[in-house]
Amino acid sequence: MHRSASIVAATAAVVLLATGCSAGGGGEDANTTLSIYGWSGEVPDGVIAAFEEETGIDVTFDSFDSNETMIAQLDAGQSGYDVVQPSQYAVQLLVQRGLIAELDHDRIEGLDNLAESFVDPSFDPGNAHAIPFAWGTTGILYNEACTGREITSWADMWDPAFSGKIYMLDNMLSAYIAGMQVRGLSILSTDEAEVEEGTEALLEQKPLLAGYNSTNAADLVGAGDACIAQAYSGSSAAQATAANPDVHFVQPEEGGTLWTDSFSIVEGTQNEDAAYQWLSFTLRPEIAAMLTDEANLATTNEAALAEVQDQSLVTNPAIFVPQESLTNAEFLVDPGSALAYFQDGWTRVRAS
Amino acid sequence: MRKVIGTAAIVMIGFLYVPIVAVVAYSFNASPVSYRWDGLTLDWYAALLQDAPLLAALRTSLLLGVLAGAIATAIGFLSAYALHRFPIRGKGVLLAAVAVPLVVPEIVIGVALLRTFSTVGLQNGLLTLVLGHIVIALPMATFVLLGAMRALDPSVHEAASDLGAGVLGTFWRVTLPILRPAILAAFLLSFTTSFSNIAISTFTAGVGTTTLPIRIYSSVRTGLTPELNALGSLMVVLTLVVILVVGVGQMRRILAGSAPGSTP
Repeated sequence: MHRSASIVAATAAVVLLATGCSAGGGGEDANTTLSIYGWSGEVPDGVIAAFEEETGIDVTFDSFDSNETMIAQLDAGQSGYDVVQPSQYAVQLLVQRGLIAELDHDRIEGLDNLAESFVDPSFDPGNAHAIPFAWGTTGILYNEACTGREITSWADMWDPAFSGKIYMLDNMLSAYIAGMQVRGLSILSTDEAEVEEGTEALLEQKPLLAGYNSTNAADLVGAGDACIAQAYSGSSAAQATAANPDVHFVQPEEGGTLWTDSFSIVEGTQNEDAAYQWLSFTLRPEIAAMLTDEANLATTNEAALAEVQDQSLVTNPAIFVPQESLTNAEFLVDPGSALAYFQDGWTRVRAS
Repeated sequence: MRKVIGTAAIVMIGFLYVPIVAVVAYSFNASPVSYRWDGLTLDWYAALLQDAPLLAALRTSLLLGVLAGAIATAIGFLSAYALHRFPIRGKGVLLAAVAVPLVVPEIVIGVALLRTFSTVGLQNGLLTLVLGHIVIALPMATFVLLGAMRALDPSVHEAASDLGAGVLGTFWRVTLPILRPAILAAFLLSFTTSFSNIAISTFTAGVGTTTLPIRIYSSVRTGLTPELNALGSLMVVLTLVVILVVGVGQMRRILAGSAPGSTP
């Protein structure tokens, strides 16, 4: 019976270990703890550590795999989170459901550090509910050794010359950005006939695709197994372009879209003070700059740009997409009831 | 003919191990991109050891797997024992009921659990995660143990009672030791089911209880790092150690020819 005894002992040890370690998260004293629910890799550990050290507030950070998961958790009530990190369209959905609080700007310091594009954004007028933290675009990653020419537009992703060497993001609205814009339509369209046209564009493209891929398309482009892929700007695009000089990230001339992940305060939180302290802390230039240095993502903080240690990151077009190519880029927002048209079309595209 | 089939089997089994070998190899690759080999490095292991959130997620998953696995095995054992030994009315219905979580899509169970917990006012956390994982681990544990019990020779019990053992005595000194490998198998299967689960964890995890699969899945958007290869390699090694320890233990028992239950 020695073995079963040791299994029991090991179980007990693991239980003790973990309960001992998690005992800190009780949160009886309001505002000495802060629970954040955000994207993995988008809140540098260094930022959390610096905040804990300065304020004495104990931060618990949990990550979600999609905005929809986060919304479902908050929707069920009593999630226990104080701060969440929704993308722009998720901010709208959370506001509609009354799940995030209207922000009291008097309690936030450093709002004027935000870059102009993130002040009063279309998805959240007046920054009433969300303070943008990270941003990027949906664009094109390509390998020039493979394409043999410069790539500038979504239309290149419909070029039969690259048949079988093209990947699109495995995400409905991301795919529609290309599908709508390649036909000269706005991704913000809620017109059924226009969405249908976008669907037709995607159906037409499907035979040329190697697949829909949101995980390792950047690697495939780098290796030359794929010539061209729809991709998000930021860390993985930057890694791909740094590893291979033939790989470039471009914003399509049709416009493309901007995404931004913001911090919002959960409605009814017990740790409101701590949450406001977090918002102000992350708006500090030297703290916001850590996002770029540690996570290789673009900060929304204009004042932070000068604080970035590695200035080559600020001029890297795969991280900070140049302003001149963003003139026609829009924030991808919640399509509202038109979502049904997109979903219907996407089902047909995937099934074709 | 036999040679052909044998070779085919080896090729196919080899194919199963290719990704595992690749993950281990890439965990030593100095290049951050997987298509280029820049020489050997242990940097990814160093990075892994310093990645506090990832280690916290690993700890959550291990603890969760052990708890859910142990409880599911205990309950599974009791239900299998009851179903096997006692004449229960509606046994077929009960068996089917136990099997339902295996066929219902996990995401449906996850959403249902989220609704239930929020209705009764239970905040998501380790408790809800354990409860959720028991739901999916219990059917497996029950069926593994039920199968093992059905394979038991009933005369063993008769012999035990003929020799004067009571119901409890037979259970502790005969049934339990014979079933020990099946109990271990049920636990390991439940543990693995829990450890790799994403759908149910997504809806039942709460503050401070991000599990490893959620953490990894969530990092897809900002790019997978070779650190995950290092983590994968460590898990492969750990699995091999468990299999070897369990497997070698079983082999020794068989080779020593010790009768089940005769160990002190």
